[in-house]
Amino acid sequence: MRTLTGVGSTPLAGVGTARWYRPEADLTLPDRPDPSAVDADAELARFEDARDEAREAIRNARDRAAERVGEEEAAVFDAHEGFLDDPELVGDVEEAIRDGTPAEHAVRDRFAAAIEQFEDLDGRMAERADDLRDVRDRLLRVLLDADALVDLGDLPDGTVLLAERLTPSDTAALDPDAVAGIATVAGGRTAHAAIIARSLSIPAVVGVGESLRDVEDGDDLLVDGEAGRVVVDPDAETREGAGGNEAPVIAERVATADGRSVEVAANVGSEAELAPAADRGADGIGLFRTEFLFLDREAPPTEDEQYEAVNTALSAFPDDRVVVRTLDVGGDKRVPYLDLPTEPNPFLGRRGIRLSLDEHRDLFETQLRALLRAAASEGDGEGLAVMVPLVSRIEEVEAAAEAVESVAADLAAEGVDHAVPELGAMIETPAGVFLADALAERLDFLSVGTNDLAQYVMAADRENDGVADYHDPLHPAVLRAIDHATSAAAGTDAWVGMCGEMAGDPALTELLVGLGLDELSMSAVTVPAVKERVTEIDSAEARALADEALACETRSEVLDVLGLDRG
Amino acid sequence: MERTVTVVPEAGLHARPASKLVQAVNRFDADVSIGRAEDGDDGLVRADSMLSVSGLNVGHGESVRVVTEGPDAADALDAVCDLLTSEVEGNGDAESGRDGTDGGDPE
Repeated sequence: MRTLTGVGSTPLAGVGTARWYRPEADLTLPDRPDPSAVDADAELARFEDARDEAREAIRNARDRAAERVGEEEAAVFDAHEGFLDDPELVGDVEEAIRDGTPAEHAVRDRFAAAIEQFEDLDGRMAERADDLRDVRDRLLRVLLDADALVDLGDLPDGTVLLAERLTPSDTAALDPDAVAGIATVAGGRTAHAAIIARSLSIPAVVGVGESLRDVEDGDDLLVDGEAGRVVVDPDAETREGAGGNEAPVIAERVATADGRSVEVAANVGSEAELAPAADRGADGIGLFRTEFLFLDREAPPTEDEQYEAVNTALSAFPDDRVVVRTLDVGGDKRVPYLDLPTEPNPFLGRRGIRLSLDEHRDLFETQLRALLRAAASEGDGEGLAVMVPLVSRIEEVEAAAEAVESVAADLAAEGVDHAVPELGAMIETPAGVFLADALAERLDFLSVGTNDLAQYVMAADRENDGVADYHDPLHPAVLRAIDHATSAAAGTDAWVGMCGEMAGDPALTELLVGLGLDELSMSAVTVPAVKERVTEIDSAEARALADEALACETRSEVLDVLGLDRG
Repeated sequence: MERTVTVVPEAGLHARPASKLVQAVNRFDADVSIGRAEDGDDGLVRADSMLSVSGLNVGHGESVRVVTEGPDAADALDAVCDLLTSEVEGNGDAESGRDGTDGGDPE
């Protein structure tokens, strides 16, 4: 038995048989033979067959992605098929074959030139280069009869998939019933693939590092996304003890053992995640990220499109609240058509509400129109709440509130049905923390975003592995910031939620309830466990635990108080 | 036949618009080529190739020349120019692409 550690990404455990996915592997070409030795007709036929096989694989992948993750995710495969049937590419490859080049060499050479052509264009075209690589590799795998051709959508039951890293389309193709777990050498919790794995409820540990490479196909593996470990040849006791026996779904709202109600909601980043969130008993949506409507497309979504998306979310949770975050781009989230400036410190730059109130005011107002219209579909607007990201000034929430009023007046003048939803702010900056009292006076709610808050409190870029230790929501400074916000709001009518990753960790639920949070919002997969945990908590004990944690001066003292062993 | 038009789609002739254009061209019995107006005949590429069309990297507001030949030349010219001069339809459904499930990082 050997234990490797990584970052727990989906907090479930699974046991199965290791299988490496090496999309890059074994595509080494044989030496190029003398052109006169090449049977051009046979090579042309091989190329034609390879295209047929690749086309079928692309269509299968498209169908699976459409079914499992959504039509939007599936659209990328259309571009793949477009390149596979491109007359210029195909014509050039065929010409090279007729000149005595074996099919695999012809494919490699011609695609290399095309990939280079796109790499030389501006940033958004890099995705086309990725598409071309994908198509090239499919063709080469068929031509080389490479055994690395793992059909991700058709893995045997009980497969633990190992990879250097997985792309979003790889992950979207996985069959959650067959895949017992995922472990990757590289990548973090917030990588696209990790987020998709969570939405598919596949146990996952990411960023295991080089030691994962020693695991071989066929090894018995335990992937424990709860503890962030991969165990090779786990013994019976370890298997039993692994977290990940999913808590039962509790459909109704929950309260602590002494009767304090705590809402347990889901973070949702696409329409495809709505049904799983409802299935797991989420009390509504605590964070509806609207970026999926804006990213990876050629122009902003229309008002109607946004209206439909929000309406779909509201319909999925007819009796609960849906908290929609207004467009949060900038920083690490780029939107090509918005022409955002390149900044020396993007995380300290024009992000979130800063963009919405200034150069992208038009997008903000269009979004508000869609939201106010959708709010009316729930009657008086009670089902919807709107929150603005990265607040650091009172003027920002005042301007946001004025924008809501002005949009409401416009809609009224146009005779369009609308209602005014709750308005809230995300608490992500130290400024937001220290202004929490003033914000709570003016707003209906606050929602603590712990990932960015930890980043700004600790002055540590959360994408920078070199300072990953600093980026820690359990640091006493971060806990005190959260406590400052909840305490500041305690005397007001505003409720306080948390939509950062720490909200979904059942080991921290007692602490968070003790810190006074009214609502916890998380990846849907952790909703049942957190709900179950809430019902076991005594709120006075939780407060005592929180006080003890707040008195700590170091992270390790906090871990001691919480009885956690997290290295 | 030929015509020069100004590209209207916000996104120019990138991924989705390019594949729509290629699909449209394939419906006609015509040879269609396309290029930046300023580049003259040298800039023309075949419009039935994703690689060529998206590789032009033509942006919104640029002037594009469309040349068609063959039995359906007139219809093909109309169809292609229509696509180039109207905002991409169905912006909502399949338009938004590969990261549909990732609205950004968890907070």
